[in-house]
Order: sequence, then C-alpha cells, then structure tokens
Amino acid sequence: MTDLLTPFHYEYMVKAILMSGLIGGVCAFLSCFITLKGWSLMGDALSHAVVPGVSLAWMLGLPFSVGAFIAGILAALGMGWVKNNSRLREDAVIGVVFTTFFALGLLLLTLYPSNLNLRTIIFGNILAISDPDILQVLVISVVSILVLGLKWKDLLLYCFDEAHARSIGLNTRFLHFLLLALLSATAVAALQTVGACLVVAMLVTPGATAYLLTDRFSRMLLIATLTGVTCGVTGAYVSYFLNGSTGGCIVVLQTVVFLAALILAPKHGLLAARTQRHIASAL
Amino acid sequence: MQASSTPLSVEVADITVAYTNGNIALRDASFTLLSGTICALVGVNGSGKSTLFKSIMGFLKPAKGQVRIAGRSVAEARKSKLVAYVPQSEEVDWSFPVNVWDVVMMGRYGHMNFMRIPRQEDKRVVLECLERVGMTAFKDRQIGELSGGQKKRVFLARALAQKGRIMLLDEPFTGVDVQTETAIIELLRALRQEGHIILVSTHNLGSVPEFCDQVVLINRTVLAYGPTDRVFTEKNLTEAFGGVLRQFHFEHSTIQEHDGRTVKVLTDDERPLVFGKDGHLEYTERQGREELVKERAKEVGE
Repeated sequence: MTDLLTPFHYEYMVKAILMSGLIGGVCAFLSCFITLKGWSLMGDALSHAVVPGVSLAWMLGLPFSVGAFIAGILAALGMGWVKNNSRLREDAVIGVVFTTFFALGLLLLTLYPSNLNLRTIIFGNILAISDPDILQVLVISVVSILVLGLKWKDLLLYCFDEAHARSIGLNTRFLHFLLLALLSATAVAALQTVGACLVVAMLVTPGATAYLLTDRFSRMLLIATLTGVTCGVTGAYVSYFLNGSTGGCIVVLQTVVFLAALILAPKHGLLAARTQRHIASAL
Repeated sequence: MQASSTPLSVEVADITVAYTNGNIALRDASFTLLSGTICALVGVNGSGKSTLFKSIMGFLKPAKGQVRIAGRSVAEARKSKLVAYVPQSEEVDWSFPVNVWDVVMMGRYGHMNFMRIPRQEDKRVVLECLERVGMTAFKDRQIGELSGGQKKRVFLARALAQKGRIMLLDEPFTGVDVQTETAIIELLRALRQEGHIILVSTHNLGSVPEFCDQVVLINRTVLAYGPTDRVFTEKNLTEAFGGVLRQFHFEHSTIQEHDGRTVKVLTDDERPLVFGKDGHLEYTERQGREELVKERAKEVGE
C-alpha cells in the first residue's frame, strides 16, 4: 500500500503529475475544436515547427515559449501564404513548410550547442521540468483556459459554419488566428511533457475519443477534458513504476481509452453498429 | 429599430466582381429589390449566383460598383444582422455534434452578450421559430439524423431566429420532398407578407412562377430582372440557359389532336415526362416513331 504512495514522496514526481494533468486537460479542451475543424495535421505540423524557435530563443536569452510561439505562428502564416499563392493542396503545403521549420531547428540545435538537449525537445522530459518552465506552462495554460472558456461558442460556430458566423458580424479572421495562436501555445506547453513527436496525440486523441461518445458539443468538451486530465495524471504516475518515458505512458493510455470508445461507444461504437446491423437484418 | 426608419431594400449597383486569379465572375450587374418580395435568382451553374450572394453578404468586395442594403453599406448591414443566409445542404457538416436546438440558437448569437449565454428571450424566439417550421418535436435530434427536408427547415428556422429581414436561400429545394417544398413556399409567402426581402437561387424553373413575384436572370451579368410575368419569357430563358435548357415541343412530339387537353406533364425538375390520352407515353420526336403514331390514330378511328 505504501508502495503506491512512493511517487508522491518525490517533489519532481508530484510536479510532473500535476503538470501532466494540467497540460493534458488544456490540450484536450482544444482538441475538440482541432478535430472538428479538421486541423489534426496542422497540430502535428505546428508542434514540429516550433523547434527552431526554441533554439533561437535560447540564443537570444528569451523564455523558450516565446520563441516557440513565434515560430509556430510564422509557420502557420507561411502555410497560409503558400496555400493561397500556389496550386498545391493543403496537405502538401503543410508537409513542405513544417519539415522546413523542423530541419532548420535541428540544424540550429546542432550548430549552436546549448544547454538544450535535442532529445528533450523531441521526446519531452517532464520529470526534469524547471521552475521557470513550470511558470511558463502555467501562464500558457491559464490564458488558454480563459480564452477558450469565454469564446468557445464563437469558436464552435466558426468551426461549424464560417459563412453564418461572418454574416452575423463575427470577426472570422480573428477567430481563425485565435485558434491558430491557441494551437501554437498549447503545442509549446505540451512540448515539455511529451515532446514534439507526440504533441499531436495530446491535441487530437481526447477530442477524437469524445466525438465518438456524444452528439453534443458541450458534453464533448467535458469528456475530452476529463480524459485528458485523467490520462495525464495517471500516465505520469504509472511511468514511475514502469520506469519508462512519461510522454509514452500518457499517450499509450490515451490510445487505450480511444480504442475502448471506438469499440464500446453506446451509439457510434463498433459493437453498437454491429448490433444495429443485426437488428436491421432480423426485421 | 433603425431598420424600420429606412425602408428595406437591396440595391446592387453596377458591380463587377473578379476572382483572385483575375477572371471576372460578374460584370456590371445591377438590380434593386424592395420590401415584400420573393425574387428568384436563376442561372446555370457558374453563372455567378454564389458570387452575387457573397457580394450581398459582404464576403466579396466588388472591384467596381457597390451593394447597398436599406441605404447602408453591407458592413453596416452585417452589424445589424439584417441579412440571413440559408446554406446549401452540401456546405454543412452533418456529423457535427450539434442538435437542432443548438443550430437554431446559433441564429441568436448576434443578439447575445460577449459570452453568448442565451437569455429567456432568445429561448422563446428559438422555440417560436422551431414551431413555425414545424420542427419542435425534433429539437433534441442530432442534425445528421434528419431527412433532407427537415435539415432544410432547421436552417430556415435559424435564419428566422436571426430576425434578418433579408433572406438569401441557396438552392432550397434540392433533395427536398414535395410536402416540404410546399411548406417552405408557404412560409416564404408569409414572410413576404411581413415585408421581408427573399432572394432564392434555384434550378427549379417550374416552381418559379408559382411563388416568385420577381426574377433576376443572370449569366455572368444580370440579363434581365423584374416581375416574373415580364422577365420569365422563353426568349430570356433561352438567353440565360443557352443549350442547357431542356425542351419539349408538342408539335414535334407524338402527341396528336385527339389527345386534346388530357396531356399530363410530370417532371423531377429536369426533362418533363409527358402522358397523352389514356395514359399513353409520349415522346419528344415523332420522327422514327411513325408506326406508333399510326397505331394510336387507328385506336380512335381517325
């Protein structure tokens, strides 16, 4: 019994568990918009595109999240510009722009050695998170939660029917940018926990899970956020016993929940679909 | 209300709209609509119908000319939520996790506070609009679980809830059953009585004279506009549609004198299906069917 409480005896574990839960929750809330807007690939792209920003911020002595955020926004704007000015399809544009940014980041990190560890950026290391980094993540999370909490209905309308949103006087260009900024900001925060490679899981899986479980958006937000927090906390906690990667644990756990929803969801699950087919053929 | 101080109108004054690639979508288009009208916007695909809609909603800025709504700019009209838009069914993501109530409530967003928390008044309006389109019983349904006609009515209710006095309907009768079509037409007539301006883009030529008092014919410009009986002529339609128009000439067909006035015309808004006396199937061309014509003439002893 006392064994189960061991992680809580270490300050770094307590911090890791709390931060993972917080980041998991914020990313999950946003993931509802990302999955419905069809921006999953964009989330993946931005999480890789922030890497050069991290390196440049270190060189300039700025907080890493500022550099990463700016790089993310620049990448998003770059994608928008290439898409509007070429005949390429969006996925090709995203592929070209984000790999360019990521490669640039790799180059900078190797050319100008710093105390930044490439491994940490790509795979995350929440166990070694420093207090200033915690502060940055806290600021990002609080601002994101506030903005999302106040404007989620406008963002929902923007995702659902942009033309209607515009026709009743909502500033859809601002909402588009707002969603991009939130995506970049949370990607930066999630970089700490799971690393650039797995950020997209935090930003997509909880939303995808919740989408299978409900037909109401407000409930989808609730389910996704609960999944995100629970997986974050539990994943970090379990990783202590497994002595494995925290990011890996969190994402594997999210996937397990997703698979359970995919199979067992009362209305949109595989089993439910099978039962319905069965009933239909029996009639 | 400011809206009632200036009379309601939609004035499209000599607008030219270009795509970003430089092609002209609409050139020198002009027409004016006044309060209390149902106007059909008729033209082939790619004739500039959606461009015109987008210009009226202010999504596209004309390179030349301007659109004025109730004497004001489109930007001002948008602020007062004057223009409501009912999208084509293909434009909507039907698997989105929202139900009928949520969608109609979206029509009220412009009237709500910063956080879009519905007041008692908003709920009352939504309920009233659902009642008006006969969808109250379905208010908790996810939108993907509705029939084509029901889907249409939900978005009509949203436009009503917005209290926009100018309504733009994009192809409202595609994928809709006859009962719903009649119900929608009934509703539009009532709105016309209340002084709304309703602009309906449609392919369904046959229904235009039934419920539209005005017509705008377009093909990259406004070819003609005005009262239906004056504008909806064979000459104008041929000009607007060119070779696309389906035709059935009685004098070329297998229909004969003895069919008299018993000829029945059925259509699914494409080519009409024509039946003569005794329910005989009639063909568009007599040529090559001389046998049939002879046989039928014998039947009645001609």
